[in-house]
Amino acid sequence: MAAKEALEILGKISSEFKIKGEVRRKGRIWLDTPTEGFVDFCRWLKEQGFEHLSAISAIDWPGEGMYELAYHLWSYLDKTLITLKVKIDRQNAVMKSVTEIWDGSAEAHEREIHELFGIKFEGNNNLTPLFLEDWEGLPPFRKDFNWREYVGEKYYDRDNERERVYYD
Amino acid sequence: MSARSTMTEIMNASASTTISQSQPVAEDGGYDLYFGPAHPGSGNFGVKLKVAGEVVTSARADPGYLHRGFEKLMEYRMPIQNSVLSDRICVLEALNWNLVHAEAVEEMMEIEPPERAKYIRVIMAELSRIQSHIIWFGAFCIGTGFETGFKLAFGYRDYILDLFEMITGGRVYPAGYICPGGVRRDFPDGATQKIAQVLDRIRRMLRVEEMENPGLVGRAKGVGILKLQDAIKLGATGPVLRASGLKADVRKDDPYEVYETFDFEVPTREEGDAYARYLVGIEEIRQSAKIIQQALRQLPEGEVIAPKFKRIKLVTKIPEGDVYVRNEVARGEAGMYMVSDGGDKPYRVKIRGPSFLHMIPVLEHLLTGAQIADVPAIYWSLNVCPADLDR
Repeated sequence: MAAKEALEILGKISSEFKIKGEVRRKGRIWLDTPTEGFVDFCRWLKEQGFEHLSAISAIDWPGEGMYELAYHLWSYLDKTLITLKVKIDRQNAVMKSVTEIWDGSAEAHEREIHELFGIKFEGNNNLTPLFLEDWEGLPPFRKDFNWREYVGEKYYDRDNERERVYYD
Repeated sequence: MSARSTMTEIMNASASTTISQSQPVAEDGGYDLYFGPAHPGSGNFGVKLKVAGEVVTSARADPGYLHRGFEKLMEYRMPIQNSVLSDRICVLEALNWNLVHAEAVEEMMEIEPPERAKYIRVIMAELSRIQSHIIWFGAFCIGTGFETGFKLAFGYRDYILDLFEMITGGRVYPAGYICPGGVRRDFPDGATQKIAQVLDRIRRMLRVEEMENPGLVGRAKGVGILKLQDAIKLGATGPVLRASGLKADVRKDDPYEVYETFDFEVPTREEGDAYARYLVGIEEIRQSAKIIQQALRQLPEGEVIAPKFKRIKLVTKIPEGDVYVRNEVARGEAGMYMVSDGGDKPYRVKIRGPSFLHMIPVLEHLLTGAQIADVPAIYWSLNVCPADLDR
């Protein structure tokens, strides 16, 4: 297989799936993906050579009541990066897992997002926490978690003259 | 002699492992063994091993000891502050992470750094890669009981740290030397000559490193074999992936800065074992030296910082949008996803460190079924950094 250009790949995607996207610069494709058929679309992309799941990022938009997930995929053959952006409901934060496609790599990324944002991934059997020990509060990377307040309450003493400044 | 006392003796002999006191014997007759986090070689990171006899039956990574929440901290700070923060993502290659952050901000703000700054960035990033690989070599040596190699490596690393001190002002942390818009200041007088001298010294060190030390070869050859298909599936990048046989390097495949103008090789090996990873690392030092030499020869004159950033304004609006930047750091692929809602601080920053996948899925995969005595060799051959895993 010869390497394809980003525009060619985008053309193929929009002819086979009804997904809108753009090429921002050389080798960078950005796609707005619907949640329906997401896993099937990912499987198709992997068959096209996007074997490397570089990262999954979650963005919290409390104003719009949604989480945005960005999947960054790299093709070693076409030397192209695709970013898939999916929006999910913030109240019922559940997403289909892509572990069956990208295996251990996807599992680790989803574990991290589950811990820090509280998003559940259906089909991922290993969502045990990575970083935080015995954490019971709000997932800390959400926008409504105020870490300054948390640190002040937990680690500083209001009656201590030296530490009082952290409250003012 | 019972099986348990034999095990204890082995543990004491290796002096690098401790038996969990609370539950020494599992129901199936195996043992729980904690490698780290209070281990001199593991860094701030632990692996929980289940062991039956000499064989590791399951391994669970236990990260989190260095979780500082940089992604969240960056949401509260302006790019010029985040630039300093980005040093700390990985202690051992601060300049490379400076560069990743600077590129993300530049792409958001559509700023092009001056040509001279790009060359300086490449020189600094490659020097940082060399010293990081030297630490890798040193840690690998001490992990496999070859102490001379460790001392040699850390001695030679200091020559590069002297350069960093001369150019950036900091030996380990450059405090945001590579900042959005270019670099903080130009090379001081005599810097280029001094870099050339240090490169000569490093080449001399490589000749010693290349001598096949039987102790090191015996501990590393055929140990921790990572097959290519597993490497891709588990998300390995950088030297780990190249030692398994795939020629992939962000500097070649997705060039940034001025890497496309340089002539250098991407070393690969087919074996995929710890020794192959070590050999790839050694060859990469030589290739980095080659890049630096070319960059020094071609170094253009001119400004080192874009006009917009010349007089640092603390408050700079970041236009709305998002970018994903990829770089090749010493350990593999580094990524930064930055989202802005138009304010002066990024709305969200996601940092993708190469060690995240090397230390969770790849390490767990390689340790399962390995011998206890091979654990340090496998662990260090992956060129791990708990700091960029936890962030």
